[in-house]
Amino acid sequence: MAEIDHAFALLQLGDSFFPSGAASFSWGLETLRAEGHIRRAADVEAFIAGQLRMRWASFDRAAVIAAYRVGTDLDALAEIDRHADAATLAREAREGGRRIGGALLKVHAEMGTAGAAAYRERVVAGEAPGQLVCIQGLAGAALGLGEVTTAALSAYGLAVGIVGAALRMGVLGHVDGQKILTRQRDIVAELAQAEPPSPDRLHAYTPMAEIAMMRHETGSGRLFAS
Amino acid sequence: MNDIAAGLRPAVQSSRPKTAARVGIGGPVGSGKTALLEQLIPRFLRRGTDLAVITNDIATKEDAERVRRSGLIAPERVLAVETGACPHSAIREDPTLNMQSADELDRRYPGLELILIESGGDNLASSFSLDLVDHWLFVIDVAGGDDIPRKRGLGVMSCDLLVINKTDLAPYVRCDLPRMVREANEVRGARPVLLTNCQTGEGVDAIVDHIAREVLFDR
Repeated sequence: MAEIDHAFALLQLGDSFFPSGAASFSWGLETLRAEGHIRRAADVEAFIAGQLRMRWASFDRAAVIAAYRVGTDLDALAEIDRHADAATLAREAREGGRRIGGALLKVHAEMGTAGAAAYRERVVAGEAPGQLVCIQGLAGAALGLGEVTTAALSAYGLAVGIVGAALRMGVLGHVDGQKILTRQRDIVAELAQAEPPSPDRLHAYTPMAEIAMMRHETGSGRLFAS
Repeated sequence: MNDIAAGLRPAVQSSRPKTAARVGIGGPVGSGKTALLEQLIPRFLRRGTDLAVITNDIATKEDAERVRRSGLIAPERVLAVETGACPHSAIREDPTLNMQSADELDRRYPGLELILIESGGDNLASSFSLDLVDHWLFVIDVAGGDDIPRKRGLGVMSCDLLVINKTDLAPYVRCDLPRMVREANEVRGARPVLLTNCQTGEGVDAIVDHIAREVLFDR
């Protein structure tokens, strides 16, 4: 892919304008804010760094890369997808991953991204969950973005989603948000050095966020879906 | 098969996916969108329309629960979408979760004819993505100010049907209703403007007729 073409595709997919429903999810932040655990920009930054180190590195990234590597082998993709789904404990995280993954998959199917329409048939038929991390890998591979770039997109999507949620909750300002995103670059670069675990070894340890999402299921103040 | 025979094939053989018509209901906070929905539901059910509803609440599921508990429609036919942001972003910039909910209703209820999608209360610049809805209503009310139509907000200007609600309150809020309606018609050209009092249901039949004619094609 020509460099400028590659850059354009990356900007398009990484833009929060690209529709996937992700803006409706806070991944536990809404509850942690309501319960007083998240009060200022530094708390949001710590939350994002924790999500990257304890979840993205060994879970999201591993699944994205595994999905990228299987390319158009949809049976293998579905297997990774099932692992990712089964290993996500909190219901709002699991269902959120399916909802955003499904929405993203539909957009890609309608855009004609290779493999997306065929895989969507499986998801619609209930044969595969359609977790976001697998759809990110599928789309990255189909568009030839490169494995590292596709993983970086996934990290960026996670981080910018939380910054956006925090901004709308009024916990931080727009410049704070950009400073936080900038500082995640070193963390992501460091984490990307290690070989990711295989799809049957996906793991994450973010108990506070997961408990917050479980509490969110029955919480009354719900601007977000998680 | 010749052309005439092709024209006579039953619709069930069509390759076009059969989905319910999707009608959006948008408008500012408190203008009466949920009240209109509550008036529309029994009227569509009475005319035999197979119906489902999606609500977009801002921070609660209050509107969805209000419609579910109304007894007007089976509760499982009412889905709620959390917006995570200003409501217009979930009906315009990124309507994917609303589309997903509508697809889910289509899958769950074969033969579904109409999905009413109520936006969260927003501002005068809100509008619906044309990928989400086939047709959309914008609901304003006399108490919000009789100058709203002439301000030519995006919602007032671009909706398929403008509804001016709470007409009964006009004398109490210094609203010059005839002028408001005249200005609404002026800024909208030939596109329709209808008046309602959603507390009593006055004027709602005309909205049902409008949707039946323009969207359901009286099916």
